[in-house]
Amino acid sequence: MSGITLYNYDLDENCYKVRILLSMLGLEYRTVAVNTFPGKEHMTPSFLARNPAGSLPILEEGDLTLFGAEAILAHLANAHDPARTWLPPAGAEFARVMQWLVFSAGELATAVAARAHALLDAPGDEAALRRGARKALRAMDDHMTARGFTGAEWFAADRPTIADISLFPAFALSRDFGVDHDEYPALRRWTGRFRKLPGFLTMPGIPDYH
Amino acid sequence: MTFAQGWHPVALSTSVEPGSSAGTHIDGKELVVWRDNSGVAHVWEDRCPHRGMKLSFGFVRGDHIACLYHGWQYDTGGRCRYIPAHPDLEVPATITVPVFTTVEALGMIWTSAEPGASRSPPPAEAAETLPVRSLYVDRDAAALFQALSANLPSPFTGVGGASLTPAGDNLCRIAAGDDRLLVGLQQLDAGRAALHVVIEGPGSIYAGAGQAHFLGWTAGLRYALEHGSIPAQIAKAEAV
Repeated sequence: MSGITLYNYDLDENCYKVRILLSMLGLEYRTVAVNTFPGKEHMTPSFLARNPAGSLPILEEGDLTLFGAEAILAHLANAHDPARTWLPPAGAEFARVMQWLVFSAGELATAVAARAHALLDAPGDEAALRRGARKALRAMDDHMTARGFTGAEWFAADRPTIADISLFPAFALSRDFGVDHDEYPALRRWTGRFRKLPGFLTMPGIPDYH
Repeated sequence: MTFAQGWHPVALSTSVEPGSSAGTHIDGKELVVWRDNSGVAHVWEDRCPHRGMKLSFGFVRGDHIACLYHGWQYDTGGRCRYIPAHPDLEVPATITVPVFTTVEALGMIWTSAEPGASRSPPPAEAAETLPVRSLYVDRDAAALFQALSANLPSPFTGVGGASLTPAGDNLCRIAAGDDRLLVGLQQLDAGRAALHVVIEGPGSIYAGAGQAHFLGWTAGLRYALEHGSIPAQIAKAEAV
């Protein structure tokens, strides 16, 4: 027992990012189910004490309480992947992983908001959110199209990293907010590769193919 | 050109890998493009006749495509062959998905709604091709073509101006310096269109940097469509 606790909501794609990495690293962990919708339990004082930003996921490990999916991914990769496959330790690969993690938490957060608006009653301007999400996905498809010319199959390195994990859910779930995969051929191919990674798991909205 | 007439490009060949599927449109008609595990591409109506689910959401197993909803499986002729809820059922031959004539040529997947042999296929005698990209824009095909004509690429090899000539149904060839591009035009639906761009030339010359050169051109073309024109090249950063 590694003593990891994940405060989790199954429909939250940011929680899903963490569940993917925990699975791919083969780590044991405990989940605490949080009634995000409709209960808004993550906004209650006991949760705000763990995460003043009022969002999931929250991870606890030993004395560490951490929020923000990208920070949690970086922590888990740093602490539990000694080969540093998932988080390259230095150089351009490290820099590119950081770039795409920040993109995921920044530009691509519009896609998270678009989906939360479509599914979970979150406030927002539907057209503007969808526009912003398409713009972010287009940037990702442009990047992966160019990567393909040199035979590169992953966003930041010659192998999958936590950057790929952080970027995967927004695209895989984009149909939830009315953006189909038609216009993103490079992301479709990347998604196909991602789904074949050992330890990959699905969530509601991302089907298992039987 | 409407879907009823002629050949239409729907994807770059490399964009639909064996055992995968993708949705697309021609003139608003929903289509699934899928490639079976033996490598043959298919273009069908994107609708499972059972509950109307898009087959492009489904998955490919061998030479069947299966619907995501209830797993109904269709063979490469569009005929339903297996219904998981009734595994012993001999599936009636009347359960079919409309299929369209599909060929691969010039590094693209082409389809036609016309009865099979009524027209010659798109020119298939191209030399080696290398993919650049499919460019999707929120504009009609006519506006996309106009922008294309007004923003031809600079050459990767050789020197000289660029020219564009029609080369078949929804197909044109661009000459720029020593380079040749083939560009397929697809009207997706009202206000949405795609360009499918390949380099007509050997990988020994164009792989990598040549593809990136023309990818950059497509980004400029998209910018011109969305902003009216391409700005002059941004100056390189100077040391301070």
